[in-house]
Amino acid sequence: MKIKIELFGASRDLSNKDFLELNLKNKSSIKDLRETMIHYVDQKFKGNENYKKIIETSAFCSEDNNIVSDSYQITKDQKIGIIPPIGGG
Amino acid sequence: MLHAKIIDLSKEKIKPENAEEFIASSKFGASIVFYGTVRENNENQKVTGITYDSHDQLVIKSFKEIYNEADQKLNIKEKSVFIEHVKGYVGLGEISIIIAVACPHRSEAYDLSRFIIEEIKKRSPIWKKEHYKNKESEWLKGNPIQPN
Repeated sequence: MKIKIELFGASRDLSNKDFLELNLKNKSSIKDLRETMIHYVDQKFKGNENYKKIIETSAFCSEDNNIVSDSYQITKDQKIGIIPPIGGG
Repeated sequence: MLHAKIIDLSKEKIKPENAEEFIASSKFGASIVFYGTVRENNENQKVTGITYDSHDQLVIKSFKEIYNEADQKLNIKEKSVFIEHVKGYVGLGEISIIIAVACPHRSEAYDLSRFIIEEIKKRSPIWKKEHYKNKESEWLKGNPIQPN
């Protein structure tokens, strides 16, 4: 299934668009998405360690605006937001 | 009473007068308006400006939660709170956030104002990309968010 990941903060460096589209197996979880994104960095950015660290330390947000755990099941066509470590004000 | 908004600087400006107007009431004897502004130095780097990014819906949700938690944690029931945070490019000395609070008494107003900014720093999904005079711009390191 194709998943749209909305990019925020430092994760915006992963694409020149506001989002990434990645293919995941059906019944994938946030943990699987995280692994797929790291694989994407390996392929697209020669394993850039800074980008991998961003993915490893980020939270993820469901379409209904809840921060979800690694076990959260992603359904087809869902939009997921990646939430890197924050610091506004 | 709460006003919470993200100001997209590509569409509108942040206006301090809106904050003052919102919290003005004869019910309250103490008002504090806090401005966060962009300063010229950070960790010995000469800063020229900051670009703010935000997850707007989550930020507004966090502002509402912080407002409601002030009831339980600080026991401040009677209050008026105005919070606006910008997104987009902010130059030196310009405003990134306004937190205006009004309460019946000054001790509550000071506590509430401080509580709100500290909680926003900890849990509102806002990011800063700092721009420098002599080097490439950089996203600042922040605090990871955990699921509830």
